[in-house]
Amino acid sequence: MTDIATNTTTDSTAVALPHDEPSAPRKFRRRGRITKWISAAWLVFIVFTAIGASWLPYVNHSCSQFSNEKLCTTHLDTNPLLSERPPSWAFFSDTTRPVVGGAPERFGVFGTDTNGFDIFSRTMFGARNSLLIGAMSIIFGILIGGALGLIAGYVGKKVDKVIDTIMNIFLAFPALLLAIFIVGFFDSGTTSEAKSRSIVPIIIALVILSIPPLARLVRANTIVYSQREFVLAARSLGAKNGRIILREILPNVMPAMVTFAITGMAVLIVAEGALAYLGLSVSAPTPTWGAMIFGGQAKLETAWWISIMPSIVLFLTVLAINLLGDALSEKFRIREAIG
Amino acid sequence: MRYFLQRLLQLLIVVFAVTFTVSLALGAIPNAEERILAAKGSGAINEVEKNKLLDSLNLRDPTLVQYGHFVQDLVTLDWGTTFNGNQPISTSISDGLKISIRLMIYGQLIALLLAIPIALMAAYRNGGIFDRASTTVSFGFISMPNYVLATVLGLLFTVRWQWFPAISEDIGFFASPWEHFKNFFLPTIVLALPLAATYMRLLRADLINTLQSDFITTARAKGVGTGRILFGHALRPSLFSLVTAAAVNVGALVGGSVVVETAFNLNGLGRRTVLGIFASEFRLVQVTVVILALVYVTINFIVDILYGFLDPRVRAGRLG
Repeated sequence: MTDIATNTTTDSTAVALPHDEPSAPRKFRRRGRITKWISAAWLVFIVFTAIGASWLPYVNHSCSQFSNEKLCTTHLDTNPLLSERPPSWAFFSDTTRPVVGGAPERFGVFGTDTNGFDIFSRTMFGARNSLLIGAMSIIFGILIGGALGLIAGYVGKKVDKVIDTIMNIFLAFPALLLAIFIVGFFDSGTTSEAKSRSIVPIIIALVILSIPPLARLVRANTIVYSQREFVLAARSLGAKNGRIILREILPNVMPAMVTFAITGMAVLIVAEGALAYLGLSVSAPTPTWGAMIFGGQAKLETAWWISIMPSIVLFLTVLAINLLGDALSEKFRIREAIG
Repeated sequence: MRYFLQRLLQLLIVVFAVTFTVSLALGAIPNAEERILAAKGSGAINEVEKNKLLDSLNLRDPTLVQYGHFVQDLVTLDWGTTFNGNQPISTSISDGLKISIRLMIYGQLIALLLAIPIALMAAYRNGGIFDRASTTVSFGFISMPNYVLATVLGLLFTVRWQWFPAISEDIGFFASPWEHFKNFFLPTIVLALPLAATYMRLLRADLINTLQSDFITTARAKGVGTGRILFGHALRPSLFSLVTAAAVNVGALVGGSVVVETAFNLNGLGRRTVLGIFASEFRLVQVTVVILALVYVTINFIVDILYGFLDPRVRAGRLG
C-alpha cells in the first residue's frame, strides 16, 4: 500500500484544482531550464561562500598592494585608511574620504563601508546569518505548522475548527507589526539600555509568521488525501492513525509543503531584512543583509555601494529561490491554495 | 444564511481573541511599569501622578478586570494620551490613518492601472514576446524587497537626479497639487510596483483560462473585434482572484506599509506603531494594533461573504 501512496505523488494534483496555465511553447521552456540552472548555481555559490566564509581566502581577508604598502581589511577589522572606498570597477565613483597613507582610491569587489570593512566579506558573512535565520525559521515553521495542518486536516471537526481559529487570530495581526512586537518583547530592560540581540528572538518571530500559511496549506492537502482510497485501505488493514498520517498522508503532502517552504524561505529572508531596516535585527557587529542595507541608508548620497551591493546580492538570492520554487511548483503542479 | 452566521461567529471569536491578546500583552511585557515611566520622563513626575497614570492603565488589576476596562475604553473611544507629550492618542491615530489610507489608495490605483492593461496584452498573445517580457519583469518585482526598491529608486531619483525629495512631507493635495505629487510619487511607486506585479500575474493566469472558453470562440466567430473581446467579454469573468486580492490588500496595506513609510519618513499608521513600540508607548500600540486587526478581519469577512454570495460552491464548503 505504500506503493500506491508513492505513486499518487506524481499523477495527481496536490490540491484538486486544475492547473491554470497551458504549457508554454517549447522554446520558452528551454530558456526556463537555463534560468533554473543559473539560479541553482547562484544559490550553490552563496551557500558555499556562506559556509566557507571563515576559510575562503578573499572572503576572510582582503588586501591591496598599493604604493608599496599593503593594506588589509576583513569583515570585522576596522581600517580607517580604507573608509568608504568605491568598488575597484566603479570608475565613475570617487570616495569623499581622504586618500592618505598610500591607500587606494578604490578597493575590493564591492568597496568598503565607513568603518573600512570590506563589503564583499561582510555580504558573505551576512549570507551566513541571513540564510541561517531563513532556514532555521522555515524548518521550525514546517515542523510546527505541518504538524498542526496534518492534525487539523486528518482529525477534522472540532480540532480542525480550533486550530483554524487560532491560525485566523495570528493572521489578523499585520505580519510585520507582529514580528516587531515579538522581537521587541524579548528586549528586556528599559529603552535607555544598550541592547544586544541574538538571532533567537528573530527566528521565533519569523517561525510564528510562517506557521499559519503552512498549516493552512498542509490542512487543505491533508483533507484531500485523507479521503483517498489508499487511506481507506490502510485503515481497513488495521493501521493506526499515527501510521496513516506519517506513512500514507505525509509523503503525499510533502511536495506541496516543501515547494511552499522554499518560496517561504525567500519571504522570511526578506522579512528579516525588513526587521533590520526598521532597526530590529541582530545587533552589530554581526552582519545580516538587512542590517547592511539599513546601515548604508544615511550614506546613499556619498557612498551608494554600501547599501546597493548587499541589496543586489539579496535581490539575486530571493530571485533565484523564487525561480526554483516556481519550477518546482510547476513540476508538482501545485496551485497556491492559501489565502 | 447558515454560512453567514458561521462566518460571523468566527469573526466574533477572532475579534475577542485579538482584543484579549492585545490587552494581556501589556501585562506580559517585562518591566512594563518601568518602561512606561521612562517614556514619561520619570524624573518630572511625582508619586501621585505616577499612581494615577498606572491606575489609568489598570496594570495592577486582575486579568479579566483589565480586559474589561480595555474593551470599555476602546468602545467609548476613551483612548487616553501618549505618555510622552500628552497628545491624545485618537489624534495621533487619525493623523497616521490619513497618510496611510492616502498611500494605500494611490498605490492600489497605480497598481491596478498598470496591471490590467499589461495582463490583457500578455494574455492575448500568450507566449509571445510581450507576455514573456512582462512575466519576467513582474517576477523581478515580486522578488525585489520593497526596502531594496526604495533604496534604488531613492538613489536614482533623489540623490542622482534630485527630481523628488528624499524625505516626503505630508502636503495636502489642495494646499499644493504639484508639491503633493512630488512628495507622494516615490512612496506610491515603491508600494505599487510589487503590487502591480502580483495583480498582473493573477489576472493573466485567469484571463488565459477565460480566453480558451467556448463563448470567446463564439464571439470571435461572430466577428467581434479584439478590443471588445478583451474588455467586453473576457475581462469581467476573469476578475475574481484580482478583486479578492485587491480587497484583502486594502486591510493589509493600511498597517503593512511600514517599510515604505519608514523609507520616505512618512508618519503613517504603521510607522507610528513601530516608533511607539520603540518608545514604549504601549497604549498607542495597543489601540492601533486592535484597529488594524479589526479592519483587516472585517474586510476579509466581507470578502468571504461576497464570495459565498457570488459563488455557491464556496458556501457549500467545496472550495478552499
